Amino acid sequence: MATARSRRRVVLVLSGALLFSVVLVANGGVAKGLSASARAIVSPFTWTINLVAHPVAHLFAGAVNYSDVLKQNEQLRAELGRERLTVNENSALRRQLAQINATQHLSYVGALDTVVAQVTANSPSNFSASVTISKGTADGVLVGMPVVANGGLIGRVVSTTSTSATVLLITDQTSIVGVTFTNGREHALVLGHGVNDPLGASAVQISSPLRPGSIFATDGLAGGQFPAGLPVARVHTITLTPGTSTYELTLKPAADLTHLSYVDVLIWEPAT
Amino acid sequence: MSRGIVALVLSTLILVATQITIISPLRIAGVVVMVVWLWPLALSLTGSTPFAVASGFVAGVLFDAHSQTPFALSGVVGALIGLLVSFLAREGVGDLDAAAWWVPPLIGAFVGLLAPLLYVAFGAVVGDSSLWRASVWPMMLVNAAAFFVLVRPLSRAARWVAEFGGWSRS
Repeated sequence: MATARSRRRVVLVLSGALLFSVVLVANGGVAKGLSASARAIVSPFTWTINLVAHPVAHLFAGAVNYSDVLKQNEQLRAELGRERLTVNENSALRRQLAQINATQHLSYVGALDTVVAQVTANSPSNFSASVTISKGTADGVLVGMPVVANGGLIGRVVSTTSTSATVLLITDQTSIVGVTFTNGREHALVLGHGVNDPLGASAVQISSPLRPGSIFATDGLAGGQFPAGLPVARVHTITLTPGTSTYELTLKPAADLTHLSYVDVLIWEPAT
Repeated sequence: MSRGIVALVLSTLILVATQITIISPLRIAGVVVMVVWLWPLALSLTGSTPFAVASGFVAGVLFDAHSQTPFALSGVVGALIGLLVSFLAREGVGDLDAAAWWVPPLIGAFVGLLAPLLYVAFGAVVGDSSLWRASVWPMMLVNAAAFFVLVRPLSRAARWVAEFGGWSRS
């Protein structure tokens, strides 16, 4: 039977732990320091387990999915050929657009420098949508920089070390992106709802000419977190509740966030 | 440092590393099975409340260090699971480890169902209400099913650790 004293002790420890976490949340800097220390403690163990588990997992996956891998390889070759053709066709148009934007003193995403990085890890948690990439401050990657891949915006850099960075994805519950649609005439906010859920959007008036497939792109408004023109999401479903003046939208990310291997970090910092 | 603490620290570190490198990438229906929350439950079955609470907290803190979520929140949930199951063993159904075979899996399923909810609730307490925006139901169901299946093998591993550390009740 537990004594009253030992019970009090456990309750005290638990209350202390809760208080500790409240304090850490309130003091972001302390939490970051402790977090880095904790990562350093675990890293030799993760490294060892990776070393043992990954070759076994790859061998197993390769043996089981060999025919799929061959098929996928052929599809990718065909896709690459089509993309090369599109790139060649677009390069002349892009030059023209950049020149027009320059004469109008507008920023042009295509003119921004990028850092290519490899995705080294996905978030291990259910409550966070993020990825770790292989480039950090040593390569010019800074907190706040937008990251694109697979045809659209995937998120922004939220923390860095000299050799790596963490990118918070647009599907994270804390993510909010200012967007524009219908050729820049209307604005909305795209909201993340977690790893497994579609994106949401702030109120959009029913007068807006939206249809499934319509593209939302970053608005680039002054003080915003992203430059203008990055595709963010496509309209997936449009629901109109009788008696309301706004649509309820679900959106799908423009980029395929489930297969992220390489990403481009845009060398662009939000205005402070 | 006593043998018990060495066993506890080493087993907790290996468990967290396994969670991050192997279990988290193996999402079931898009959901991560939180073995770092099952571990304190398994340790509770060995009969040591302090070790279960301490290991649950440390495993959660180390896990949180790898995620963009409120730091130490998983630790608080882990510690609470260790505490609740220990109390249940003492005040409720008795010696869980020696109980009928289906008792630990049932408790595991209940804890798996409860844990994500506790996490979101504590998140709101520490000021992060955005956690409510995620779909908690799939997390609860998948973790309940996984805990139901995994609680037996993991409690066996916990018993080995307890025997090695010298705090096993057998």
